[in-house]
Amino acid sequence: MEGIPLFLKYDVSIQGYERFWEGLKAGEVWTTKCKKCGTIYYPPQRDCPNCLSSDMEWIKLKENGKIMTFSIVKQKPQGFDQEDYVVGIVRNEDNVDLMCWLKGIPKVGKDVKLTTDGKRVIGVVV
Amino acid sequence: MNKRVAVIGIGSSKFGRRNDVGIRELTWEAVREALIDAGLTQKDIQLNVIGSTAYRGTEIYPAPPASEYSGLVGKSPIRVEAACATGSAAAFTAINAVASGMADIVLAIGFDKMTEVDTSASLAIGGRGGNYLWEFHMYGTTFPTYYALYATRHMAVYGTTEEDMALASVKAHKYASLNEKAHLRNKVTVEEVLKSRPISWPIKLLDSSPISDGSSAAIFASEDAVRKLHAEPVWVKGIGYGSDTSSIASRGEWTGLKAAKDAAAMAYSSSHVSPTDVEYATVHDCFTIAEIMAYEDLGFAEKGKGAKLLRDGQTEKDGKVAVNLFGGLKAKGHPLGATGLAMIYEVVKQLREEAGPVQHSFKNYIGLTHNVGGTGHYAYVTVLGR
Repeated sequence: MEGIPLFLKYDVSIQGYERFWEGLKAGEVWTTKCKKCGTIYYPPQRDCPNCLSSDMEWIKLKENGKIMTFSIVKQKPQGFDQEDYVVGIVRNEDNVDLMCWLKGIPKVGKDVKLTTDGKRVIGVVV
Repeated sequence: MNKRVAVIGIGSSKFGRRNDVGIRELTWEAVREALIDAGLTQKDIQLNVIGSTAYRGTEIYPAPPASEYSGLVGKSPIRVEAACATGSAAAFTAINAVASGMADIVLAIGFDKMTEVDTSASLAIGGRGGNYLWEFHMYGTTFPTYYALYATRHMAVYGTTEEDMALASVKAHKYASLNEKAHLRNKVTVEEVLKSRPISWPIKLLDSSPISDGSSAAIFASEDAVRKLHAEPVWVKGIGYGSDTSSIASRGEWTGLKAAKDAAAMAYSSSHVSPTDVEYATVHDCFTIAEIMAYEDLGFAEKGKGAKLLRDGQTEKDGKVAVNLFGGLKAKGHPLGATGLAMIYEVVKQLREEAGPVQHSFKNYIGLTHNVGGTGHYAYVTVLGR
């Protein structure tokens, strides 16, 4: 027999990360760097577990990068009922590894330019 | 470990799409078999540890109802969770309860009923097996996607091919066809694997473990209890654990699992066993690339040569190190909470020479389980011996 469905609606806190989400709308990728020890965090963190400081600054990540790996998502999960998309990991000039969606024909080692579609980081194959 | 710990009883349900049972009846199948195997009753059990991820079932707090049905009320339970390594986390907790001297006889049970929800819900839950906001929310990653990122990188760096990965699936299905408790008992060919539907390229349907229901159990005992019960023990010789970042992009390398390498190093050093001593292993082949990486992470093959070990047939029955002769996660099935304890069940069966048509021939009776949680977020390696 059918069980009672469970609907979960979530209210997700992004307090302290506004710069990241505003950046996405402007086509830019921002992240945090600890002012005390210099560690760069991506995904950004409000706190530095390395030196216990919470004195962080926002930095804009450089836009050139290389594809480290990727996968073409054919069978989609709930919430992504749409055309196929390519999930990639790109290493940028700051030596930061970022997840993104890749546009163009992907290949490991190919150069990409990092931008956004307003909601996520996009790597456009050069 | 302070005190020696033995496995003295094991049980496992049939894995598969088990519409014929609820979570309670499914759990009982493994518990009943383990109690009979050990010659014990529930009265002898001092503590009950339960491993279940439970996110895909109606019973999201499943430990009390499962314990009650199995006659274990009053024996706790402690419920633990480590994604796909949940069963090993339960074993780890039970082993440590005995090793510390806190209890003499501890039952660990692992189970999950994953087929109560549909595949798109299951993919959305698995896709959260990482870091929700920074992965699934923005990029719609599914669980196969994470392993596919490893597969693509392994192919680019070491020349591993989709055909190589298909061989792991062919091997798994061949052995599962001989296992009455396996989920998928059909044999497959390399061509069928290559032509199967892509799920998250390069991972295809036949590279993937099925979504399964199942339960497994093991009873752990102290040396004193083994002596008193005149039990035939399989000893826990050593155990290791490891972990890695929640976001897959932060790991810096995608050709092997650091968590598994760390767990293996710790298990080898605590058991004084080296990779070449291991005669039988269960490895976490949730996807075919995972089996190839496991060979390398466990030191059975040099880095980048995992596919060659598979091609050379060295991981078949009576090979250098036999791997997953019960069909692996790939074909036996992968009910998350049950898997780690099903691995212990399998290695104990092999070490006791009770494995029937898939019995491997041993010289020194050394076996190992390799259980990975998430996409390498957790790993447990356990060395067992007679």
